[in-house]
Amino acid sequence: MSSSISNSKPEDSVMNQTKSQEFESDYIASQQRRVYLKISLALFLVMATALASVRLFTYLNEASAEGIMGRVVEARKALPKIVKEEKDLVMMFGSSMVGAGFSPRQFDQQAKELGKDVKSFNFGFGGLNPFFQDYLSRRIQEAFQAENRKMKLVIIEFNPFQASQTRWNGAVPIVDSFLTMLATDKELFEIALNDPERGALLFNIKYLRNDISAEMITSFFGREMFPPKRAKRFDEPQELLDKRRELGNELNELFEKEYPDFEDARWHYGWQGGGTIPEERSERTIQVFKEYYETFQDDSMKKNRRLRRIESSGIESLHFEPLLVESFIRIVENFKPVAERVEIVMMPRDFKWINYTPEAQARLDQAVMQIEKATSLKINNHQLLDKITSDMYRDVTHLTKYAGDVTYTHHLVEEFAEHL
Amino acid sequence: MIFNTPLFFLFFAIFILFYGFAFLRQKPKVYLILVGSLIFYGAWNYRFIPLLVGSGVADYFIALAIANATTQSKKKWLVTLSLVINLGILGLFKYADFVLYSVADFLLLFNYQASLPVLEWVLPVGISFYTFQSLSYTIDVYRGDMKPRKGLVEFVAALSFFPQLVAGPILRARQILPQMHKIALPTWQTAKHGILLITVGLIKKTGADLLAIPAQKAFEAKEAISDIELWTGVIAFAGQIYGDFSGYTDMAIGLALLLGFQIPLNFRVPYFALSPVDFWRRWHISLSSWLRDYLYFSLGGNRTGHRTRNVFITMLLGGLWHGAAWTFVAWGAFHGAIITATHYFAGLKFFESFNSKNNVGIKILKWFITFYLVLIGWVLFRAADIDTAIQMLIDMHTFSSTVEGDKTARVLFVIVIFWIAITHIVDYFILKGSEKFENKKWLFWSTMIFAHILCLFIGEPSDEFIYFQF
Repeated sequence: MSSSISNSKPEDSVMNQTKSQEFESDYIASQQRRVYLKISLALFLVMATALASVRLFTYLNEASAEGIMGRVVEARKALPKIVKEEKDLVMMFGSSMVGAGFSPRQFDQQAKELGKDVKSFNFGFGGLNPFFQDYLSRRIQEAFQAENRKMKLVIIEFNPFQASQTRWNGAVPIVDSFLTMLATDKELFEIALNDPERGALLFNIKYLRNDISAEMITSFFGREMFPPKRAKRFDEPQELLDKRRELGNELNELFEKEYPDFEDARWHYGWQGGGTIPEERSERTIQVFKEYYETFQDDSMKKNRRLRRIESSGIESLHFEPLLVESFIRIVENFKPVAERVEIVMMPRDFKWINYTPEAQARLDQAVMQIEKATSLKINNHQLLDKITSDMYRDVTHLTKYAGDVTYTHHLVEEFAEHL
Repeated sequence: MIFNTPLFFLFFAIFILFYGFAFLRQKPKVYLILVGSLIFYGAWNYRFIPLLVGSGVADYFIALAIANATTQSKKKWLVTLSLVINLGILGLFKYADFVLYSVADFLLLFNYQASLPVLEWVLPVGISFYTFQSLSYTIDVYRGDMKPRKGLVEFVAALSFFPQLVAGPILRARQILPQMHKIALPTWQTAKHGILLITVGLIKKTGADLLAIPAQKAFEAKEAISDIELWTGVIAFAGQIYGDFSGYTDMAIGLALLLGFQIPLNFRVPYFALSPVDFWRRWHISLSSWLRDYLYFSLGGNRTGHRTRNVFITMLLGGLWHGAAWTFVAWGAFHGAIITATHYFAGLKFFESFNSKNNVGIKILKWFITFYLVLIGWVLFRAADIDTAIQMLIDMHTFSSTVEGDKTARVLFVIVIFWIAITHIVDYFILKGSEKFENKKWLFWSTMIFAHILCLFIGEPSDEFIYFQF
């Protein structure tokens, strides 16, 4: 061995050294590839398994866009059909107060009596503050613009307590999830361009987490484990609660009897997004509804509902969240290109129970002024309508079926008939 | 870009793809680290990249010039230049407004309303970390503790090395530069340790985010809270800042290990400390050792007979390093005071015999006193201002709240204590050696997966690392 080394030529030695270096370099490179392949696989498999478990969790808990905002999803799905309706279109857009307080088919009937043949739709959704409504209104705008169609009239509800800071604070854990449910990829991409970290997070929620963010899960379990402190509630009479439960059960039975073919829907096209109407119901049902809503008129119940609204929405102090007021202005602007006329309303308020402090009223006046200036539209203030009495509310904000909604829908027809 | 976000995961996945499979040789790898680090930093604010690179380039050439300087006075002049550049950048971005506001407040005491031109500049992320890191290089070269290294790209890549760029640990040039010069290949064993540290870091950060809720409630109380909620909030903040900072460091060390780099420990179960001196040997070790080596020793250390003064100045400036506010100064002063007191008591005969006893009861007592003092310090650190801190400290000790603590508050108190204990116990076992655990395939990987599932289920009420602001 030693002799072979000593007998070799110097150029051979250099070549051998180079070959040996190349061999060593190749060996290190292959080692490197192997170790990084293992690292990459390990990281990928750990993350993939963890993400799969999130998806499994959301699947088992029916946590998805359909499960969480089913009414919105169904209404969005109906848009292509709505756009193709032959009659002039009317839409009332807003919160759950619109959902409960606007009866589209009755609006159409009463309008017809005035010689106006229109088809109206209820686009009132619970749980959406103006920030989310802004995105939904963009989807509506897109659907109408795609067919080059305009609505005859759009009535947009400005709900003061939906735009409060308290409301916004309560919505923070769901912002990302709701955004991914309502925004398009293009909108998410625009967010990503301004803020890559947030953009990546939103795409991750949308495509890898089935729209369910970690914040949403945490807040869901967190509230179960550590419920937020509430003001002491007033005791509601037990006999009234029992009676309400009994009547509620009876109403369910009557519904099944009167609508045997009803397919479960949270936004029913046949009902134009509204609910049933008294003309379709039996006398007995109307009577049970009346008795049912009477059980809500107890003082302690009203006081509790008021407290709940104060805690969840700051309904009497009205500290506005600027972002939500700006979002509302955008909603109005989103509707303008697809409507011949846009009206803004503030829906009736149960002024027996909900009263603003002078400071809150001043803040509301300021917000109204800001909206009117930005949109060049006058807000129709229906908050203190005399014809809507306190017993027409099933709590302190939502109107009752067949009484509150009918009266208010009548009022809307009267007020806006000239624009139909 | 924050480690526990999808964007970072995406970034790191792409980075590993190039680093592990395409850029196989030394030099291109260094370039890749530099480019990757600048992208990482630029994702936060690309406008500050020149500041980061600029301070690195300046110190690189200053260090070379120091080595080539023929006279001591020239060397001194050059190291002063480095100090002026680095501390100037830090002062301008971090402390200028604080000084101006403080001057204005002081003048107001004499009824003089001064309108001073405040800058209101955005604070570049990680500026306190990378300026100290860069500064240590020129000082080491000046002191003759290391020779300057040639290779500008290697130096800037080391300075901007993304795992530790924005929240430390503060690496010394002599720790990172040799590694950057010859990048090691991680073994599967070190890679597993890296993955373990990343996972533990993620869990700690996730826990810290949850602890932020009771902490915020106590420190930013908008309504009256009970005594137990106040104490829970303060202890929760202790857990939050530890989970947040040590979690970030764990992730940084883990990521570096995956890239073939060894980053030294920054925490050693600090809340197990038995004295304030011991605490600072365990908490943010890279900063405390930096301050010891470059400030305390420069002031004379123990030798000049001014130990108390030197400790106090070091801790005061250490406090100010954390932020431009009087609360941080007060926090530093408080720690300076309790360290000085520890030195004083340790010198007394009675305490000498007390210290020498290896008694569990005495250890528990020492631990309790230390943890209590650290908590007091955190009140000064976290409170919005000195007045709030004093009021909180009074409330904590007078138990005068009119609000009664309910069952939920008591449960939360126990959970917070439990979480801090658990994170420390886990850290203790990792410190002792986690190789056995890492080699138990099924146990190790199922634990890793479970931990990641937990992180994906828990959202972040606060999505910033506290130490980023420093």
